[in-house]
Amino acid sequence: MEYYIHGKNLPIKFLRILLLVLAPVVAFGQNEPRPTINSRLEGTVLDSLTSQPVPGAVIRIKGTTNAATSDVNGRFQLVTGQSFPYTLAVSFIGYKTKELVAKGSPVTIKLIENVNQLNDVVVVGYGTQKRTDITGSVASVSKNLLKQPAASFDNLLQGSVSGVAVTQNSGQPGGSATIRIRGGNSISFGNAPLYVIDGFIIYNNNDNVNIGSNGPSVNALSTINPSDIESIEVLKDASATAIYGSRGANGVVIITTRRGKKGTNNVSFSTYAGQQRVSKKLDLLNGSQWASLINDVNVSDNVAKTYTDAQVAAFGNGSDWQSAAIRNAPQYNGELSVSGGDERSRYLISGNYFKQDGTLLNTGFERYSGRVNIERNINDKFTVSANIFSSRSKQNKLYGSGYNSINFNSAFANLINTSPIAPIYNANGGYNTANPFNATPTNPLQDIASTTNTSLLTRTLGNIAGEYKLLDELVLKVTVGADLLNTTQNYYAPSYTGSPAGSSNGYAAQGYASIGSGYANSWLNENTLTWSHTFNKDHFVTVLGGYTTQHEQAASSVASAQKFPNDLTTFNNLSYAGVANLPQSTGRSASLNSYLARVNYSYQHKYNVTLSERLDGSSKLGANHKWGSFPSVGLSWNVNKEAFLENNKTVNNLKLRLSAGQTGNSEVPAYSSLVTLAPTNYYFNSTLVTGIAPLQLANPDLKWETTTQYDAGFDLGLFNDRVNLVFDAYYKKTTDLLLNVPLPLYTGYASALENVGSVENKGIELGINTENIKSNSFSWKTNLVFAINRNKVLSLGPGVNSYFPLAPTGRQSPVIVKVGEPVGTFWGYKTNGLLTAADIANHVPVLTGVPQQVGDTKYVDTNGDGVVTTDDRHSLGSAQPKFTGSITNTFTLGHFDLSVYFTGSYGNKIFNLLQQTLERPTLSLNASATLLNRWSESNPNGTVARATNAPVPQITDRYVENGSYLRLKNLSFGYNFSSDLLAKVHAKQLRIYASAQNLATITKYTGLDPEVNFYDNDNTKQGIDYGSYPAVRTFLLGLNVTF
Amino acid sequence: MKQKIPYITLIIAGAALLFASCNKLTENPSSVIIADQFYKTQSDAVSAVNAAYSSLNSDPAGDFPLYGRQLNLLTENGSDNQIYSPSNTNPDVRALGTETYISANSRVQKVWQQLYYGINRANIAIDKIPAIQADTVVLNRLVREAKFLRGLLYFNLVRLYGAVPLILHDPTSIQLKDLQQPRTPVDSVYLQIVADLKDATSLPKTYSGSDKGRATSGAAHALLAKVYVTRQQWQPALTELNQVINGGYGYSLFTNYRDVFQKPTKNGVEHIFSAQFESNLGAANSVQNLSQSFSSFNPGTLPIDIPADQNLVKLFSTSDTRRAVTFYSEVYNAATGKTVVYSNAYTPYFNKFVDYSLTPLTTQSQSGINYPVIRYADILLLYAEVRNEIDGAPLTEAYNAIDQVRNRAQIGGLTKGLSQAAFRDSVFLERRKEFIQEGHRWFDLVRRGGTYLVDALHTLPAKSAASDKNKLYPIPLIELQQNPKLTQNPGY
Repeated sequence: MEYYIHGKNLPIKFLRILLLVLAPVVAFGQNEPRPTINSRLEGTVLDSLTSQPVPGAVIRIKGTTNAATSDVNGRFQLVTGQSFPYTLAVSFIGYKTKELVAKGSPVTIKLIENVNQLNDVVVVGYGTQKRTDITGSVASVSKNLLKQPAASFDNLLQGSVSGVAVTQNSGQPGGSATIRIRGGNSISFGNAPLYVIDGFIIYNNNDNVNIGSNGPSVNALSTINPSDIESIEVLKDASATAIYGSRGANGVVIITTRRGKKGTNNVSFSTYAGQQRVSKKLDLLNGSQWASLINDVNVSDNVAKTYTDAQVAAFGNGSDWQSAAIRNAPQYNGELSVSGGDERSRYLISGNYFKQDGTLLNTGFERYSGRVNIERNINDKFTVSANIFSSRSKQNKLYGSGYNSINFNSAFANLINTSPIAPIYNANGGYNTANPFNATPTNPLQDIASTTNTSLLTRTLGNIAGEYKLLDELVLKVTVGADLLNTTQNYYAPSYTGSPAGSSNGYAAQGYASIGSGYANSWLNENTLTWSHTFNKDHFVTVLGGYTTQHEQAASSVASAQKFPNDLTTFNNLSYAGVANLPQSTGRSASLNSYLARVNYSYQHKYNVTLSERLDGSSKLGANHKWGSFPSVGLSWNVNKEAFLENNKTVNNLKLRLSAGQTGNSEVPAYSSLVTLAPTNYYFNSTLVTGIAPLQLANPDLKWETTTQYDAGFDLGLFNDRVNLVFDAYYKKTTDLLLNVPLPLYTGYASALENVGSVENKGIELGINTENIKSNSFSWKTNLVFAINRNKVLSLGPGVNSYFPLAPTGRQSPVIVKVGEPVGTFWGYKTNGLLTAADIANHVPVLTGVPQQVGDTKYVDTNGDGVVTTDDRHSLGSAQPKFTGSITNTFTLGHFDLSVYFTGSYGNKIFNLLQQTLERPTLSLNASATLLNRWSESNPNGTVARATNAPVPQITDRYVENGSYLRLKNLSFGYNFSSDLLAKVHAKQLRIYASAQNLATITKYTGLDPEVNFYDNDNTKQGIDYGSYPAVRTFLLGLNVTF
Repeated sequence: MKQKIPYITLIIAGAALLFASCNKLTENPSSVIIADQFYKTQSDAVSAVNAAYSSLNSDPAGDFPLYGRQLNLLTENGSDNQIYSPSNTNPDVRALGTETYISANSRVQKVWQQLYYGINRANIAIDKIPAIQADTVVLNRLVREAKFLRGLLYFNLVRLYGAVPLILHDPTSIQLKDLQQPRTPVDSVYLQIVADLKDATSLPKTYSGSDKGRATSGAAHALLAKVYVTRQQWQPALTELNQVINGGYGYSLFTNYRDVFQKPTKNGVEHIFSAQFESNLGAANSVQNLSQSFSSFNPGTLPIDIPADQNLVKLFSTSDTRRAVTFYSEVYNAATGKTVVYSNAYTPYFNKFVDYSLTPLTTQSQSGINYPVIRYADILLLYAEVRNEIDGAPLTEAYNAIDQVRNRAQIGGLTKGLSQAAFRDSVFLERRKEFIQEGHRWFDLVRRGGTYLVDALHTLPAKSAASDKNKLYPIPLIELQQNPKLTQNPGY
C-alpha cells in the first residue's frame, strides 16, 4: 500500500495522508475489498516500565498481513475476519517484539524496552549495521546517562563507556574537558577523538574559538545542546575507526540527534533548575598565622621581626579572600520540542535555553540553541533529510593567563595568594585598594568582579543528505554540510584593576581593551554508494564505496588598545584609547580529500568479516607524503548461533571479535612542512621596524602519525540477556610520531617537526550490564564500566632519550617525556622529611647551589654520588590512571525511579602546583595552612620546611599527589505520573525528578578537586593543578512533560 | 518517479564534481610568507637584517632577551657583582650566582641558543642579500651590518664557551647527520670575527633619523679593538682605538653619567653601539628586564637582581656621581605623594635601567632604556689599559684616558706615578665601577688571566664553589647529546 505524490491531485493526497496519520485502520479499509468481520479488537499499547502509551507500534495478527498501528494515545483497533483467540505480534523500534494470544477485546499490551543492545541496529561510520554482524569494538552510551543534565555533551561521556577517559579541566561553566579514548597516541598533537554529528565530521579544535583569549580555554563543543542528542556511539578499535582514516586514531564519537517518530505528534517541554555550591575551599593562613609566618621569614633573613606579638595576635582571622569571591549560583535549563512524523516524513523542532551562573563572581555560561531535523521519503527510492542547528553561547570567564600560555597567571590563584591582613573592603564598603602587599593599588576581588572577559560563540551546523535507490540493492547517498563557527572575545581590564593587560596590567595600562573575532568554517561533501546483497540466503554482503572532500578555513583578528580616559566604554569603543596596540590577524585553510571502501560479509549472521580502507590526502602534510592509506580487517563469530549453544539456557549470546588495522593522526597546524617566515620587531632610535626571519626549516617528508591497533574481544549475554558483558583487550602502537625533534642549537633552530618515535597503549576494557531484579513492580539494573590502559613512550627518535616540555619562564618543568615512561610523567626529587642537626653533622648529601640548614627539606641522593643535583630527579608517577571505572545502579519501583552513578579513577597522580606555590613563604603572599606545621626553633618537630624568603620551588614528591578518586557523580530520583492521571491533562508523559551532581567525592587529593587539567589538552602537561576554577556540587529539580 | 532518475543523478554527479575539483591539496598560505616568496627586494633585505638585530632584544620563544637579561646572568651573576635575588625562582639562575651550574643549566643553554639565533639570521642575510636586484650601495651596507652582528655574537660565544662550531650558512637539511659539526678552534673563530668586523668598518659613520642605532664603522672599529684587547694583541688594538678616538666620529662622554641610561639621550655621543629598547606600550613587546630592578612600591617585593653584598656599593666614594645612578634605596611614589624607602638585607637595589619616565612607575616592563653594548667610556678605559701595556708604564696618554672617565664621575684624577701593575689594577677597578650591570665584569675577570676570576669570586662565601673551570661556560648538554663530534669544556 503506497501513496505516491501525484502533483495534480493535491487535496486528495493531503486527505489520504491525513487519514493515514489519524486513522490507519480506516485508511486500510479503503483499499481492501470489504472483508467479513468476525472480531473487533481494541487495545492500548503501553511501555511496561513507565506505563506511558507507545504510539506507532505495529499490531499484527500472526501469520496474516492484517495489522494496525497504535495512535498517539497508544490505542488501536483491529477489525478482522479472524475469530478469537488468535495470536498478536506487537512490535516497535526500541522494544522487544511481543507475542500474545488475544482472547477478547479490549487488551492492554505492555511492551518491554529492548535493553538487549546486542540485537540493535547501531550507527557505525558511513552507515548502520546489525549489532550481530559487527566485528569492531563499538560501544553505545546508555540512554540513562544521556538524560542527565549537563552543560555540554562531553560531560556526559565521563564513565559512560569503558575506555573513554574524561577529565573536566576546571569548574568554569562551559569549560572544556579532556577526552581520551584508549589513552593518548600522540605526544605533540591531537589526542581528542573525532566527532561525527549527524554525519558531519568535526575535529574539535579549541584554538578556533580562543582568539587572543584570556583565561581557561573556551569549549567549542559547549555550543551543542546535549539534550538534542538521541544516541552516542563510541568507535574504539581499528575495524570501526579505520573508515575515518587519518582522523580515526583517537577514536570516533558518533552523535545522532533526536528525530521525530512515525505516527506521533509530540510536544515536549522539559526544564530543570537548581543551585550550585562550591564543594571545597582551600585551607589558608588567617591574619595572625600569616603575620607570624612573616616574622619567621624575617628570622631566616637575619632581620628584625616585622610584627610584635601583640600585633600578630591583633590580626585575628583577617580577611578570607577566597570566600569573598564565592557564591551559590543558580542553574537553569528549559527546552521545548515538537516532533513527530507520518509514513513519509519525520520532523523535530527544538529550542533550548541554558544558563549557568558561576560560583565565582562575574562568571557564567549561557546558551540559546535551536534545531530542525527533517526527513522526507519523496518516493520509494528517494529520501531527503536535513539536520540543522544553530546556537549562540556566551561565556563569562575567570581571567588569567592567555589560553595555551605557558606562563600562568590565574585570577583565582591571585586571589587566594592575597595577604589575609589586607582588608577586602574599606570603611565605606568599597574595595580596599590600599594593600601594601600588592604591586599596584588594586584589589584582586575587584579585579575578578569588574574585569570583562566574555566569549560569544555562534555556531550553525547543517547537513543535508539525499539518498537514492539506484537499484533495489544499490543506494547512492550524497551529503553536503557546513559548520560555521564564529567567535567574538571581549576583554576589558579597567584602570583600577591589576588584571592582565597585554604585557602589563589594567592599572599600568590605564585601562586595556581587547576584541578578538574570528571564524572557523568547514564544509564537507560525502558521496557514497552502498550495495547490499544476499547470496543463496546465507551470504550477506554489503559493499560501501565513496569519495569525500572537506575544506576548512579559519581566520581571526585581535585588536587591542590601552590608556583610556575613563572606564565607561570598556571594550566597546577602542577609539577612545590613547594608545593603539599593534593589531594581529591570521588566516589558514586546509583540505582533506578521501576515498573510502568497506566490505561487510556475513555467513548466516554467524561468521562476519569487515574489510575497510580509506585513502586520505591532506594539504597540511609534506609535498612527498600528501596521501596516506588506512586499512583494517575485522572478524567476528557469533558462537551462540552454533548448534552446541543454540538452545543453551545460560548463554544466549556469545560473540568473539578480532580486529587489526591502521589509523592516522595529522592534527598539525597548517603550513607545518614549509619554511614559513615570521615577523620580529626591533627599534631604531625608538622607531619600530619589522624583521623577517625563518621560523622553521622545510620538511617535505612530513607525514601522518600511524596508529596500528589490534583488538580481541567478546560479547556475552547470559540468562536471556539479564547479564551482558563486553570485554576487549587491545594493543596500539603509534609510529612516525609528529615530534618537534631537537636540532643542534647552533643551526639557529630549536627543533624541526619530523616523524620520529613511537608510543604504545595497551589495555583491557570491561562493560557489564545486569538486570539484577526484574519484576512487574520493581527492577534493579547495574551498569559497570571498567578500563585499564598502559601508556609508554617507546622511542623519541635517534639520540633522544627524554625531553622536558616547555616550562613557565623561571620555573622547572614538573613533567618529562622519557623513553620507557608514560607520557605525562612527573619528574623531580624524592624527599625524606627535613634536615636535622644530626644530618648536618653527618654531612648527608644536600642540594647543591642552595644553602641548606636544619629545617630545610631533605632531598634524597638517589644515585648515591654524595650530592643532590638535578641528576637525582626521577619519576614521581604519572597523570595516567592505572584504571578508571564507573558504576550505575538504577532502581524502579512502580512509578518511582532512582539512579545512583559513581565514577572514579585510580592510580593517577596530580602535580599540585598551587600547593607548591602556597607553601612557598614570601613577604607578601598568603600561604597554605599546612605551613602552620613548619619547622622552627620553637617547633622542632614540624614536618614542613622552615620559612625562608621565597625559596626555589623545587619539584618534589611532596607536591605529586595521589589523584585517585571515587565520586558520586549523579544521584537522581524521579516520579512518572500514571497514564490515567495524565489523560486528564491530555499529557502523554510527565516525569518530575530531583538530582544531585558531584554529591560526594572520596579522594586523598588535598587540592580543590581531583578532576583538574590546568594545561587543558596539552598532552605532556596533564594532571597539573594551578588554581583552577573550583568544582561544584549541583542540586536540581526537573520536569519533563510530553503532550 | 521514473522521470526523476536522470535529473537527480545529474545534480548529484554535478555536486560531487564541483566539490572534488575545487578542493586542492597544495598549500598556498595567504597569511604567512614562505621562503620562496622572500629575499627579492631591497625592503626584503632590510627586513632580513632587522631580524638579525631583533635577536639582541627579543627571544623567538618569548624568553627573556639576550641583552637586557640573559647575557647578564652569565657575566654579572657569574661575576663578583651579583649572586642572585630571592625573587629568582629558577634554580638554574641561582646556580649561576653560586658557580654551581652544570652543562644542563637552562640559562647557559639559552644564551648559546640566542647567540646562534642571531648568527643564523645574519648568515641568511649575508647569503641571500647579494642575489637581490636592487641598489647595491644599500645592499652592501646591509650585508656589512649583518657581518657586524655576526662578529659581535661570535665574539660573545668564543669568550663564553671557547671553541664553538663556526656556522656561516643556513642549514639545508633537517637530518641530524648533516647537521653535526665539531668545535672550531678558538683562533679560527677569531679569524672569522676579525674578517667580519673588518668588512664592517666600511659601514657608514653615522645614520640619520630612524636608521640611528644601526651598526656604524665606528662600532666596528670599537668592537675590533675589544677583540684585540681580549686577545692581548695590544698594537692592533691601539690602531683601532685611535681610529675610534681620532677618526672623526665625534664620540665623547656625556657630561652627566645619568644620561648614559636615559631614554631622551639614547644613541647619544657616548653610545657607540646599543641594543635598542623602547617603551612600546604593548605595541610590539621586547622587555628590558633589567629595568625590573624596580618592580613595586611594596618594600616586601624583591627585585629581579640585587648586588652581591654591601661591599659593592662601598666601592664608590660618596662623592662618586655614579653611585646614585647605579643604586637606589628610595623611590618617590607619585600616586601617594610619599617616598618609599627600601631598607633590608638586599638594599640598595640596582638603578641604571629603571625608566623613571614611565607612568605609573611600576610598568618597568615598558622600559625604553637602551642596553649599551659599547660606549665611549669603555674605549677610553681600553685605551688607558692598552697604552699601559704597550708603554710598559702609565704615561700621560693612559692617565688622560682614565681621568676623563674619573673626572666625569667627579672623583678626581688617578694618583700619578703608579706602577704598571698598580695602574692596571686601577683600570680594572674603574671598569668595574663604571660598568656595573653592563655585562663586562665576567669578561674582564677572565681576560685578565691567571687566578683573577677565581680570586674575585672567592671573596664571596656564596661563590666558594668557584674554580678554574668557571673561566668558560659548559657547552650545553643537549648539544653534546645529539652530536658526538662535540667535546665538553674541562671540568664539566
